Amino acid sequence: MKQFGTILDFELKNYFKNRLFVGITIFLAAVIAVIMFFPRVMSMIEDGGAKTEESEADGTTAEGNEANGTTAEGSEADGQTKGMILLSVGDMPNAEALRQALNAAFLNYEVCLTDDDLDAIQKKVIAEAAACAFVMDSPTSYTYYVNNLSIYDDNTAVVNEVLSNVNSLNALMAAGLTAEEAEGVLSVEISNETVSLGKDQMQNFFYTYIMIFSLYLVILLYGQMVATNVATEKSSRAMELLVTSAKPTSMMFGKVIASCLAGFVQLLVVFGSAILFYNLNKEWWGDNMIVESIFGMPMDLFVFMLIFFVLGFFIYAFLFGAIGSLASKVEDINTSSMPLTLLFVAGFMIVMFSMQGGDVDSLLMRICSYVPFTSPMAMFTRIAMSTVPFYEILLSILILIASVVGVGVVSAKIYRVGVLLYGTKPKLGSIFQAMRKA
Amino acid sequence: MKLELKNVQKSFGEKEVLKGISFSVESGKAFGLLGRNGAGKTTTIRILMEVFAADGGQVLIDGAPVDYRKTGIGYLPEERGLYPKKKIVDQLIYFARLHGMKRQEATEAVDYWLGRLDMMEYRNKRLNTLSKGNQQKIQLITAIAHDPDIVILDEPFSGLDPVNAMLLKDVVREEIDKGKIVLFSSHQMNYIEEFCDSIAILNKGTLALCGEIHEIKRNYVRDKLVVRSESADAIADALGGCCTKRGNGELLIQLEAEEAKRGMMEQLTKTFDIDEIRVFEPSLNDIFVEYAGDHDEGEKA
Repeated sequence: MKQFGTILDFELKNYFKNRLFVGITIFLAAVIAVIMFFPRVMSMIEDGGAKTEESEADGTTAEGNEANGTTAEGSEADGQTKGMILLSVGDMPNAEALRQALNAAFLNYEVCLTDDDLDAIQKKVIAEAAACAFVMDSPTSYTYYVNNLSIYDDNTAVVNEVLSNVNSLNALMAAGLTAEEAEGVLSVEISNETVSLGKDQMQNFFYTYIMIFSLYLVILLYGQMVATNVATEKSSRAMELLVTSAKPTSMMFGKVIASCLAGFVQLLVVFGSAILFYNLNKEWWGDNMIVESIFGMPMDLFVFMLIFFVLGFFIYAFLFGAIGSLASKVEDINTSSMPLTLLFVAGFMIVMFSMQGGDVDSLLMRICSYVPFTSPMAMFTRIAMSTVPFYEILLSILILIASVVGVGVVSAKIYRVGVLLYGTKPKLGSIFQAMRKA
Repeated sequence: MKLELKNVQKSFGEKEVLKGISFSVESGKAFGLLGRNGAGKTTTIRILMEVFAADGGQVLIDGAPVDYRKTGIGYLPEERGLYPKKKIVDQLIYFARLHGMKRQEATEAVDYWLGRLDMMEYRNKRLNTLSKGNQQKIQLITAIAHDPDIVILDEPFSGLDPVNAMLLKDVVREEIDKGKIVLFSSHQMNYIEEFCDSIAILNKGTLALCGEIHEIKRNYVRDKLVVRSESADAIADALGGCCTKRGNGELLIQLEAEEAKRGMMEQLTKTFDIDEIRVFEPSLNDIFVEYAGDHDEGEKA
């Protein structure tokens, strides 16, 4: 126990004295600060800009009524900033009504009717004289011409809706309604309210996502660090002295718990600064739903997050430590930790896809929430985004705790055997054989 | 205090590394554990230090199984290595604390030894900024700073310049005088002869020879003659197969029996012009080569 304390102390100091570790932590906190202050700074800049514009406007009025020319120039300038959309209607009736409807839908563009032939229209679009063009074939069909089609291009959807409206309007008017009546029918507003009696997946999605992603990053990052740490001691032959000075279980637990604490401190700094800076800038964030949901995480969920985080971290860190002890060189770690990393990534993918698919209670997720290597992510996701009976949670946690202890003991045994094996990579069989004797 | 190994056996998989090793050492004595590479020295040391358990046999202190919480062991491994990028004082204190010292005690002990080995100026430097010899002195501190009852030194003199070797000799002698058990493992026989009262020679996991050095030498069969002569070639021709030439030009003559030495001496001094003739007394090196050498291979050759 005394040795464990000494090792924990030594390893923790290694983390906190490591410039890279300190640097990354400060950097992350700084990034969070920048993000959290962003709306405040933006609104300050906008306010500042508005004030100068106001004062300039005041200035012009003061100078007198010569301002007419300037206004004309201003509107011209506005015309220049607005892009142009060409609309070719052929000999369809009500062309101007359609143009106006489209003009109202495309706020940032000026929709212009054109009599040009198809060639000329295409040339204008290619030359970017017009942003795009709609060539009507009939009241219900058209061709959309655009130079480079962006993946976010939803212009056809906008035009479809406008055309659908126009057609409905025309049909209603043809049936004898006046224009006002027809518009009244079309613009009926439907109101609704949703009451979720279980969990609101929309609301929980973001912090579950953040938690799962942090777990993923921290486990991979710190797991690799534990493995590298052990392999470095082995390759620098400090291990020769360590194995004769300390018990392998103390070494293993000391290292893993130190890395867990270091990771925790780092997360605490990151999330702590996020909470601090959010509260400083709360009013500028207004009612941003995503941010509000993240910071409005319920307390019981936070406790579950801590439990699964720590247990999930341990189970992987122990295995990474064992892998590190089997590597002869630090470079070997990447390849030898591959199976473990893949197992972890597979668990992560299952959880992520289930989350995005909205079905967190699928059979696969239920199974995963009891398998110790996936349960930290899977069970937490289910608790956060669905309603899970308490005994299921308890069972999952108990299985996880038992597995952590089991994996810890086995890893310490592998470590004890592994650290003294140099040269060729040992076969799995020979490791187990040596472990039985150890 | 008496350290005893009784019939210690160990196998790794199919390979039998130790086939029943027994020896004993008492406080205030140095013991040489010799053998070629792969003979089983490091395995013996690791069993002694409880890195792994023996398959059979016992390790005893004063007749009882070793209580590792009470018996301090210091170890200078042959494969040197500490944390290259960490401050020297930090890692020395760490190792002393791992051996059960309190922080304050550890700091005092480390400072004492840094001073004793003229290394105080490197106290706050990183290990990898030091020369190999100085790194070795730092490593030595990890073996003795916690004031262990048993000190195990594996090739302690390799890589040291004569001045540092002298310093280390003094330190080793002090440790022996303090009543500690010092276990040496080395291939530099002159150091073993200088410090050790007893030796054990391991050969392929068996004890080829064990006992006090002067006893071993005294009991050595006196059936070889060393001859220095201008007419060495003529002597070699005359005696044939029983005669081998040594590196310094001397001839080594193997007699059929110890009793034949007087007759051979008389015969040679009568027949040839002899500068010197004496009974061959083996050095530790000779004994080592004879007992640790691979006889099977020699016969095949």
